[in-house]
Amino acid sequence: MAVALEAIALNKRFNNLQASNNVSLAVEQGEIRGVIGPNGAGKTTLVNLVTGVYKADSGDVKLAGESIVRCDMHEIARRGLVRSFQVTRLFGSLTVAENLRTAFLARRPTDGGDGGAQIDSMLDLTKLRPLANTQAKKLSGGQRALLQMGCGFMVPGSCYVLDEPFSGINPVIKDSIIEMILDVNRRHNATFLIVSHEMTIIRRLCPKVTVMMEGKVAAHGSLDEVARLPEVIAGYLGKALE
Amino acid sequence: MFSTELVAQTAISGVMIGVLYALMALGITFIYSIMRMINWAMGEFYMIGSYLQFMLVAWVLGPDLWWLAILISTAGVFLLGLVVQWGLIKPIFKKPPEMRDDYATVVTLALLLFLRSIATGLAGPNQFTPGSTLPIMMIGPMPMAGARVAAFVFALAALGIFWAVLRYTWYGLALRAASQSRVGVQTAGIDVLSVDRVAFGIGVALAGLAGALLAPVFLVFPTNGMITTVKGFEIVVIGGLGSIPGALIAGILLGLIESFGAAFIDSAYQNIYGFLLVLAILVLRPTGLFGERGREA
Amino acid sequence: MRKFGLLLAAGLAAIGVSAQAQNIGIGLDIPLSAPGDAAGGQMIRRGAEIGIDMVNAAGGVLGKKLELFVTDSQSAPAMGVANYRRLVGENKVVAVTGFFHSSVALGINEVAKEMGVPTLAVQASASDITAKHYDIAFRTHAVDPVRVAAWMEFIKKKGFKKISIIAETTDYGIGLTDETIAQNKSGKAGLDIQKITFDNKATDFTPQLLQIKSFKPDLVLNIGVGTPVDLIMDQATTIGLLPTTPMLISYDAPTRPQYWQLHPKNGEGIYFIAYYSPKSPLSDLGQAFAKAYKEKYKEDPVYGALNGFGAIEILAQGLKAANSTDPKALIKALESGTFKSWPDAPVTFPRADGVYWHNWVPPVLIVHYTKPNQDWKEADIAVTYSKK
Repeated sequence: MAVALEAIALNKRFNNLQASNNVSLAVEQGEIRGVIGPNGAGKTTLVNLVTGVYKADSGDVKLAGESIVRCDMHEIARRGLVRSFQVTRLFGSLTVAENLRTAFLARRPTDGGDGGAQIDSMLDLTKLRPLANTQAKKLSGGQRALLQMGCGFMVPGSCYVLDEPFSGINPVIKDSIIEMILDVNRRHNATFLIVSHEMTIIRRLCPKVTVMMEGKVAAHGSLDEVARLPEVIAGYLGKALE
Repeated sequence: MFSTELVAQTAISGVMIGVLYALMALGITFIYSIMRMINWAMGEFYMIGSYLQFMLVAWVLGPDLWWLAILISTAGVFLLGLVVQWGLIKPIFKKPPEMRDDYATVVTLALLLFLRSIATGLAGPNQFTPGSTLPIMMIGPMPMAGARVAAFVFALAALGIFWAVLRYTWYGLALRAASQSRVGVQTAGIDVLSVDRVAFGIGVALAGLAGALLAPVFLVFPTNGMITTVKGFEIVVIGGLGSIPGALIAGILLGLIESFGAAFIDSAYQNIYGFLLVLAILVLRPTGLFGERGREA
Repeated sequence: MRKFGLLLAAGLAAIGVSAQAQNIGIGLDIPLSAPGDAAGGQMIRRGAEIGIDMVNAAGGVLGKKLELFVTDSQSAPAMGVANYRRLVGENKVVAVTGFFHSSVALGINEVAKEMGVPTLAVQASASDITAKHYDIAFRTHAVDPVRVAAWMEFIKKKGFKKISIIAETTDYGIGLTDETIAQNKSGKAGLDIQKITFDNKATDFTPQLLQIKSFKPDLVLNIGVGTPVDLIMDQATTIGLLPTTPMLISYDAPTRPQYWQLHPKNGEGIYFIAYYSPKSPLSDLGQAFAKAYKEKYKEDPVYGALNGFGAIEILAQGLKAANSTDPKALIKALESGTFKSWPDAPVTFPRADGVYWHNWVPPVLIVHYTKPNQDWKEADIAVTYSKK
């Protein structure tokens, strides 16, 4: 299998904090990879380095074999690497439909039309149709997460980086998001890198996880394998994963 | 003294100047809404618009093609705005966000002084006027200079087009999205710096348009943009920074208050009435009539 | 940034040192940017610069060259005062001339009476500039009472009864308005006067002009300075006040080259106060100046330029008479001597009564444009008023 997304020896320092210390990982095309680790382990830093929000001090990021480490955020997005934020970055005064339209038009294929059909089907998929003309800032936290996911899926990307897509969301919406992820993964062979604390969902979605601790990659492997490693147990302050 | 005719005339004159005030303020508020920076040199783009209008009418097109001159002047200021954003503003946005406000203030204030000196140096301190061949028109009981009526109509049209572009076009959607979340649009795949460039161009072009329209009415001289700066910021405070309907309503409100204050209280304090309104707004509703209390980061 | 600041400071210091070494400095404080009347300031500056060149070409003063230091008051008294302090403190000037806006001259004189370096106002007309009888205060300009007397004579001659005054809220505007009301009373002229004031930073005078129109005056006195004069004319034309109601402008703005460019359609019929017409005779100095001016600027000098030139000549002659650059000696020489300026009449600054203290007043004219695009030198002279 081809490598879809690859981080090579990424380093990033903020003042005295080595937020990212020689981080390397490779996710294969069509894989759903989980990233776990205690708070402050450098998971969000990794996401920000991969998606161009931060510029790495050193190291490289490759998307389908091409380096994107010097690219601006919007260029990375246009190359098919789509991300979501832990705190949703929606356009508050725009309606749900307008949010979806913006996402569509920003990365639309050249002969893509105005996105009417895609918006329609996304409203069905996310079950947000009754709220289509509601301003995004009036949605609940779960609905926002759903909408943000919907925006990410408006134009199928090759690779998704999701930062805590399930935090603070009710179980019904969690299921919807999981279904959307599995659906896009199956239909487009899309690659996912998912940062999450939700071990049940990670176990369900991700055959393989990467464990981060103190800015470093501590281990790769299945959730059950890494949960047994002494350094991982130590990193979680002796508590078993779960 | 309090005749119905005088009241009606004062009201008409207030609304007409108010719409032009709104046009001056719109650029400030629009640039702020997208870029979260204040362009202190806004009045100088008004000034450049008025000089372009004068030069085009006096030397190139003649007074009958004033409307074409207005379109060209506005386009000229738009292009200048693109260049200024590219050369002076964009570099600021590559710096850490917490420094941007300070840099933007310093850079645009320097630009203000620079552009004024250039104008004084090239054209001298004298006033010019492109003149106007439009006849005086009666608006109800109020005789109005044709140029002022034309300015009013053009301003309304510009406000309408501006609104329609924002509301109904793809680029308008991108601009509105950028005003909500700069990170959001970048994540969606939009180059926010190129959105900035267009937004800055449009913003200063609105001021340039006001300058071109008002050149025959308020004359052309190096510091004529001061009116834009002063009225523009009053309106921005009254209407709410970043609010486009706020700019229109506050502009008309300011025009009416100045007009009625000058006509029926004491004309010596014409410029004070607006400030009193500004103070009242700051006390009662610090975010302005239509201001939002913040946006998503 | 710091490096740049040091360089700048060093540069400024170098300029200061080289300038004061061999030259006698004269300060010129004038408005060169809005809200000041920049065009007015510019005229004075042109005259003064030619004056400096002419004095230096004739061998200078006391074996040294004169050097002009120009500052911009922007019509703000605070700015003017700061300029005066800098001119005296840093540039070591022996006198400060110029002054267009009365408020600036009044503000500066309050500081000048402490610092001692004399002022010579060339185009600021408020009474108090000289009426306060400060030792340092000199003037070569028509004062409010003379100007008002001129238009009162004009009003009487025309038989006008209802007068609207639209005046800026400055010492100049308020001074002239109050003086008009006072002379109406003291002279028992019996005029019905409407008084309307405006902020000189305003651009829309329609509300004020509507009030004036509903008063139906016989004459509108336009007591603005700079851009407002033109805006009032244009906006009065729009609402139908001009040309049916005559308008008198309180100074000689319409003699400037841009007047007909700004008012091709409504410039005709305007009356204005002036202090010079080619019909008034020039001295030999005045003729030499007019020639030099025309060569340099391709147009005839106006009053502001003539008076700017005159101020330099008077100061140069005063320095020679004093045979010193000491301010006290200069003041004494100016008070006691008789000088030559541009008009064919002797110039003196006696310690006279009231407003005429240290004040030489040129004759005041009321000029009338009788056709479009008329050269101001050919315009009718409606009234010539000399102080009796």
